[in-house]
Amino acid sequence: MKPARLVYAAFALSMVGSLGLVVYYFVGESAQVEGILLGLALGGMGVGVIGWATRLMDVPTVVEEREPLESSTSEVTQTEEQVSQEAVTRRRMLLRLALGATGTLGAALAIPALSLGPRPGQSLETTRWTSGARLVDSFGTPQRPDDIPLDGIKTVFPSGFEGAADSQTVIIRIDPELLDLPEGRDGWAPEGCVAFSKICTHAGCPVGLYRAQAKQLLCPCHQSTFDVTTGCTPVFGPAARPLPQLPIEVDEAGYLVATGDFPEPVGPSFWNMDTE
Amino acid sequence: MLRWIDDRLGAAHWARKGLKKVFPDHWSFLLGEIALFCFIILLLTGTYLTLFYRPDAAPVIYDGPYEPLRGREMSAAYESVLRLSYEVRAGLVMRQIHHWAALVFVASIVAHMVRVFFTGAFRKPREINWMVGVTLLVLAIGMGFTGYSLPDDLLSGTGLRIAYSAVVSIPFVGPYLAFLVFGGEFPTEGIISRLFVLHVMLLPAVVIGLIVAHLGILWRQKHTQFAGRGRTESNVVGKSFWPQQFFKSFGLMLLTGAALALLGGLVQINAVWNYGPFDASAVSAPSQPDWYVGWLEGAIRLFPAFEPTILGVTIPSMFIPGVVIPGIGFTVLALWPFIEQRVTGDRESHHILDRPRERPARTAIGVGGILYVTILTVAGGNDVLALTFNVPIEAMVWFLRIGLFVIPLAGGFVTYKLCREMQSSGARVARREPGTRLRRNAEGGFEEVEPDLKS
Amino acid sequence: MGRGWAIGAALVVALTFPGESTAQEGYSLEVAKIATMAQADEVDGRRLFEASCSTCHGVDGMGTENGPSLEGVGEASADFQLRTGRMPLANRGQAVRKDPAFTDERIEALVEYVGSLGDGPPIPEVDLTDASLVAGQDLYIENCAACHGATGAGGAVGNEALAPSLSIATEVEIAEAIITGPGQMPQFDFSDARRNDLVNFVVYLRDQPRPGGADIGGIGPVPEGFVAWLVGLGSLLIICRLIGSSRKAEPEEAA
Repeated sequence: MKPARLVYAAFALSMVGSLGLVVYYFVGESAQVEGILLGLALGGMGVGVIGWATRLMDVPTVVEEREPLESSTSEVTQTEEQVSQEAVTRRRMLLRLALGATGTLGAALAIPALSLGPRPGQSLETTRWTSGARLVDSFGTPQRPDDIPLDGIKTVFPSGFEGAADSQTVIIRIDPELLDLPEGRDGWAPEGCVAFSKICTHAGCPVGLYRAQAKQLLCPCHQSTFDVTTGCTPVFGPAARPLPQLPIEVDEAGYLVATGDFPEPVGPSFWNMDTE
Repeated sequence: MLRWIDDRLGAAHWARKGLKKVFPDHWSFLLGEIALFCFIILLLTGTYLTLFYRPDAAPVIYDGPYEPLRGREMSAAYESVLRLSYEVRAGLVMRQIHHWAALVFVASIVAHMVRVFFTGAFRKPREINWMVGVTLLVLAIGMGFTGYSLPDDLLSGTGLRIAYSAVVSIPFVGPYLAFLVFGGEFPTEGIISRLFVLHVMLLPAVVIGLIVAHLGILWRQKHTQFAGRGRTESNVVGKSFWPQQFFKSFGLMLLTGAALALLGGLVQINAVWNYGPFDASAVSAPSQPDWYVGWLEGAIRLFPAFEPTILGVTIPSMFIPGVVIPGIGFTVLALWPFIEQRVTGDRESHHILDRPRERPARTAIGVGGILYVTILTVAGGNDVLALTFNVPIEAMVWFLRIGLFVIPLAGGFVTYKLCREMQSSGARVARREPGTRLRRNAEGGFEEVEPDLKS
Repeated sequence: MGRGWAIGAALVVALTFPGESTAQEGYSLEVAKIATMAQADEVDGRRLFEASCSTCHGVDGMGTENGPSLEGVGEASADFQLRTGRMPLANRGQAVRKDPAFTDERIEALVEYVGSLGDGPPIPEVDLTDASLVAGQDLYIENCAACHGATGAGGAVGNEALAPSLSIATEVEIAEAIITGPGQMPQFDFSDARRNDLVNFVVYLRDQPRPGGADIGGIGPVPEGFVAWLVGLGSLLIICRLIGSSRKAEPEEAA
């Protein structure tokens, strides 16, 4: 096909596509049709314009000389002189004060940026868990040990704070014989139920993957793996801290309750965290 | 008409200079244009999206056609994206074109940057433009991240959580800075509207300003060109801006639009309805950011559980891969022209481009660097890789940890050797004199003199 | 000559019956045994079990070092494992779906027998008529998406374990898996209504509308990134190559 005909055809196709789009807007909704028609409209015109530029224009190659980029020495000197006129440069003290005033003004204008957010205070060190708070699921139903099947996992929150992000906790039921928790935590596993913060200590994703046979929690974001039987100590991946364990017991009514907040900060580490 | 304008602006002389301006013709000089055109398409489709999107984290009840979420509580932002996708005519295709354009935008910036690097186009007088370009790359990544976090869905919210943790991990200032940026402890209601301001106002303003500077500097300095017949350091050989180059560029813009339109209509992207609204206690797997943040994700995945406490200050395990390494990397990248100047001692202006093989050391370092970043990006999807090749995740992680150092070093080494090889056997190296040089030796015979090659 | 034939015959035999893992060998032998039992009128679950399962699970299903005890796993577990072909296990490692080794009749008999070993969950009734998609989606994201993915595409969950794609399982199989937690999957104790919601949603995921176009895997940014580079930038690179000149082309004489 002669280049000219190709270009004509391309423009014609483009017009078909554009008109088609206008009509289709009123009769249909499929993104696929819209995309194809738009592609035709734009593509047809693109091929036409390029075909015209490359095949139908008789444009010679041109040589353009480069002028030197840098200005002449006298020009540069004159500019320097223009900038550093005596009227400005002689007054050293004034210059220093002016610069100083600009700097302090900048600081003053920048200070309202501190209104953007509160100070962290103790927020990163505490959650909503308190002594006596019942473990509830996302619907608010308090949990008994039997509500969690053996080798099962549930996401729980403190009663009254369902959905509170910093308090999200997983409770897992394990055969108590398999547990090898750190010192002093034997009472934290009533009937084989162990509760850990769900927030990964690496980058804060919810540690939602539980390998029931291996008794390991895996974080899907960066594959940190925690061994539940030893208190969620990290065994693989970039997390360096175990998932904090929630001290729990069974109250008189038979429901699982916390006996306090997590003993360490939940979530990713920070520079001045207190892990004692 | 021209006279009307010229009477008021005196534009004729200046306009003619511009229209006559010569641009060389090489296909690889069009890569930067693709990036520019992607950006234009992002602006156009993005403006359309802004008219429908609500940057509001306040909860609403969904009442639209997507059944599995009907009656669910979700942020107004998420709801507006669902509405745009399912209830606004042409809304979905606009949204998808916008997202595909973002992915191709950063890809084309990288391709353009790679071309500029390997041809030495960043050398004097173009160091400033190189730094502008690197800044544009960083800003483009930032625009992408803020943009795909706007729908407030489960996947992007997980990414926000990780970003928050990265800020928190900075020693001394981390928690304060994170609370300032986010407006409190994660998750906050305010972050969505702040991301919106960044994404549609502050970042585009800086990007547009820098693009204008980038093009302005290019216009002023004139484009570089490859060596060839009739081409010297003091001329530019090519075609004039009007009509040919302009038409070609305009056509390329249309074709870029066509490619993105086809992608936007035919291939589904970021189907946020599948993930559901963001829920801080839920997560889906696999979880990845968009590809241009993949290198950061990979770095965080591969870095081991190293969390020392130095003089009472804990250095969280994600600080080094998440903050330090990217900081160093981008700084080295931005300062590369000056690093190379230091090492080679070459402070001349250059308007003729190198062929990569003429600079084996730079090319080898570039290849090594590209392999390094590629492996990090690939590592960002290591669980998908493990699934695809039916390999345990742990093995994949170790393979990538080791490969991260071995492969770039090996690749750089091989590249260096290849460049030297291609130099000595290359048919038309611009600076090599034609013919064989012979020398008479002491015995009276002739021997060939090895050409003195640049390294 | 005779010795040559003997060696040749030995070679043929050796090649036809190559040594394989014990489990595989055991499996093939059991299948052979079952074939010879085809004469029985009523399939006896207990005898079937002894023939096909006891090597690993013990004569009374109480377990050996090769396989766990089946006491209390219930009909649901046996039905799931047998119908999806996960059991009998072909290789060491994760039990994966394959063609069932037994006919429906035999499966029923085995299920009845295993169910009698203790007090485990029965085969669940699945009734999707009143199931709520909304509740199902909520439950799915909360409990299943972390391993199986938001679109049910499955995923690697570490240490060689794979959470499979959910596109093939029948409604009953899904319900059984939820109840029994096969392999590395945890057990979930939902009410019947909630479980039906979940099953309904999993089934919905397969045929849900994809208004944006081709799915490319449904696992998000990884395939999207590949497509952006290969198809998006790739096509544009080809176009650039076509529009612009390459170094090989000599420049025309300067005007």
